[in-house]
Amino acid sequence: MAAGTGMVTAAALVTDMLKLLGEERVFHKDVDLKTYTYDSSFVSQINDFTPEVVVMPTSTEEVSRIMRYADEHGVAVTPRGAGSGQTGGSVAVRGGIVMDLSAWNDIVEVDEVNMQVVVRPGVVHADLNNHIASYGLYFPPDPGSSEWATIGGMVANNASGLRAVKYGNTGQYVLGLEVVMPDGQVIRTGGLKSKALKSVSGLNLTGLFLASEGTLGVITEVRLKVWPKPPSRAIVVAYFDRLEDAAQSVLEVFKAGILPSGIEILDDGAIRSVNLFKPQLKLPEVEAAIFFEVNGSKAATADEGRQIEEIAKKRAGSVEMATDPKRMKELWTGRQAIGAASARAKPNAARIFAGEDVCFPMSKVPEALRRIKEIGREHDTMVVIYGHIGDGNMHTAPIIDPLKPEEVEAAQRVAEAIHRLALEIGGATTGEHGVGFVRAAFMEEEHGAALEVMRRIKDCMDPKGIMNPGKIWAGEE
Amino acid sequence: MEVTYQLDFAQELKKCVRCGKCRTSCPVFHELRGESASPRGRLALVKALQTGDLEPSEELADRLYTCLLCKTCAVDCPSGVISDEIFVAAREYLAEALGQPLMQRALLRGFLTRPGLHSSASSLMRLYQKSGAAAVLDKTHLIEHLPEKAEAAARLLPDVAGRPGRKRVREVTPAQGEKKYRVSYFLGCATNLLYPQVAEDTVEVLSRNGCEVVTVDDVKCCGMPHLAYGDVDTARELARENLRALADAGSDYVISDCASCSATLGETYQHLFDPGTPEQARAKELADTVYDVSRFLVEVTGIEPGEHQVEATVTYHDPCHLSRAQKVTEQPREVLRAVPGVEFREMAEADRCCGSAGSFSVMHHDISAKILERKIDNVEATQSEVVATSCPTCTMQLSFGLRERGSKADVVHPVQLLARSYRGK
Repeated sequence: MAAGTGMVTAAALVTDMLKLLGEERVFHKDVDLKTYTYDSSFVSQINDFTPEVVVMPTSTEEVSRIMRYADEHGVAVTPRGAGSGQTGGSVAVRGGIVMDLSAWNDIVEVDEVNMQVVVRPGVVHADLNNHIASYGLYFPPDPGSSEWATIGGMVANNASGLRAVKYGNTGQYVLGLEVVMPDGQVIRTGGLKSKALKSVSGLNLTGLFLASEGTLGVITEVRLKVWPKPPSRAIVVAYFDRLEDAAQSVLEVFKAGILPSGIEILDDGAIRSVNLFKPQLKLPEVEAAIFFEVNGSKAATADEGRQIEEIAKKRAGSVEMATDPKRMKELWTGRQAIGAASARAKPNAARIFAGEDVCFPMSKVPEALRRIKEIGREHDTMVVIYGHIGDGNMHTAPIIDPLKPEEVEAAQRVAEAIHRLALEIGGATTGEHGVGFVRAAFMEEEHGAALEVMRRIKDCMDPKGIMNPGKIWAGEE
Repeated sequence: MEVTYQLDFAQELKKCVRCGKCRTSCPVFHELRGESASPRGRLALVKALQTGDLEPSEELADRLYTCLLCKTCAVDCPSGVISDEIFVAAREYLAEALGQPLMQRALLRGFLTRPGLHSSASSLMRLYQKSGAAAVLDKTHLIEHLPEKAEAAARLLPDVAGRPGRKRVREVTPAQGEKKYRVSYFLGCATNLLYPQVAEDTVEVLSRNGCEVVTVDDVKCCGMPHLAYGDVDTARELARENLRALADAGSDYVISDCASCSATLGETYQHLFDPGTPEQARAKELADTVYDVSRFLVEVTGIEPGEHQVEATVTYHDPCHLSRAQKVTEQPREVLRAVPGVEFREMAEADRCCGSAGSFSVMHHDISAKILERKIDNVEATQSEVVATSCPTCTMQLSFGLRERGSKADVVHPVQLLARSYRGK
């Protein structure tokens, strides 16, 4: 079992890391270590996950040297990007080294003709898209945390976001990876020199690292396929008096043969929260709003936008179509902010990240929405619902006073019940945020015998169990 | 550690969900990159202090003082965390727990609260500059051997020349033409000592726009520097004195040409006193009458156009305490556009902090200089001959940055260009 500093003392570990990286990129004082004990997960706020040391490598060679050291001494290593995850995935639940890769943010290559980019793990999603926009390119997956989430973290969690309904998740764009293995060996997946957009040569090692959450190795470089940036875009927002009508309208849009680039739902609490955060938006405060985003040529965008408007009008109280860039930006950034802004739905409360990423079959979404609201009522806990209704991926935010233990306990019961609901009706406990520390307990029930195969793969690649221990596999290593 | 500076730590800190959005826009984090230099990191440290997980220490104070208080994180925060106010309150707590460093204490309690000493200090500064000592130190590289902070301060300071602003303007300046309002001009310390010409121009512009201007003589420092260093007691005392002095002046409005002063008088004073007390009531009354000079000209008097052309390409830098603390952004631009002959050029990231933040530029000179680099890049990209801004410490910082680049661009207050259009020079 690998835990914490393995066979070295904390003091020796710090000294050795200082020798490897120098004073500026090694943090070992209490005041710095305490800022690496958390991500967005509530579990990391109520536990003390203080690492012994934090390192900030900025080269493959440095990562490799750190991993060779960790392997030799049995020290746990937890890779970390912006720490924007919601599962405890980037906190050192077993102590040891936190490897902060967010400062390693070089865009190594933009290959305009072959439509691909090579980036280091700390590149921020929005920075990448801003950079490649001048080449007429863009990287479609769009997490709500676009402005601060790193590409390394997105790959390690196979993240997706607001445009997954049309463009899928991060993994669909990863052509190859440079990975430092737990023993320090450096490998390249997807072919050493390959710039091919397709390859079925050998086992899909690239796929193995997607959603591996730092448990198999450290991702140090990513080759991404990127796409031409669509010239036009429109957002249709439909406001519904009944939550179920909102879900039905989504199905009807699909039935009309339209594939929007984003379909997002906001329930009444989410609408209120966004209005409080961005008062200029002035969204009607109804039971649910759906944001449909379409993109493509100007003609196609206008036509699909109009069609969606007509379909939504059958059930919606009002519909707004936005093509003005300023209004679209306001709407989209308002939607992106809900994750944290949902706390505003209730005075003197906070949002906690727990049970927040369930994914349902499309046919079951209306039922799931109704039952989530019921779960909230049963436990006397306000639950704000928002998320990617176009692919069934719902974010459910318990809004509580975290200083009141009884409200915390109720919220934890809500989270448990929502995860169980997902499993009961044929969904997934996590659509894009990952397992991390918080969902490890559901893995056996969700995967059955397949979990054992995952475990064997983990043992094979990380025999000493030093890579991000305590994640995905509950109570192991 | 529960309640301080009218702020309940536990209640405010619980709002932070640690999403990390504040990493995006924090100028300091952008330079330092470690999580403890991010607003989220600092909030986590205050939480650790509040729960007893960390004890007060110099290292903790260092992390909390390595913040510009530029409010970018607070304005952007989806959860509504008032991070800058939390940091100020934590500084107050730490100042008491640790005791402020001697130099800061002498500066804050001594000079800034006592105008007499203030002027003496200014005279010393002038002597240093006039005597040529600055040039000698620079040329011989002796300046490199001065204490680090003194060296930084020496490099930043403008060429302070002549009498302070207070001695250049009359106690009561009559309105030119029909008198519309009687206004109190709150002459702040930095304008008074470092940019006295701005005081003359502000008074002239107000007078020209129908105001009888009372330059209130017995006002003290607004208290912002004290708050920034956690000395809330002194700030409260200064607030009391200023409330009294301004009430005695009996004007319709209180006008400031310093973004920090107007933010402190108009926004912060209310939070310094207990709710329901007469002092808080007075602070609220004052808040309704406090205006930044550009806002006042645009919203209250209207701008009297000047007769003379001021041929210049001009860009504008938004001070944090004006744009984020008071949401005053368009009005200074309107003043500039109203000046005949001015060609206004918007710069990229105009509201990004310049790195000055009062004494931050001295106490954290290296970080401040890095933040300034990006600002100067944005200024230079506009190829403007003049940079306008509404804050004396921003003026000092921008002038320093441009000087270091060898640029000849001038840094002025927007009302100075308007005054030039009145005077014709």
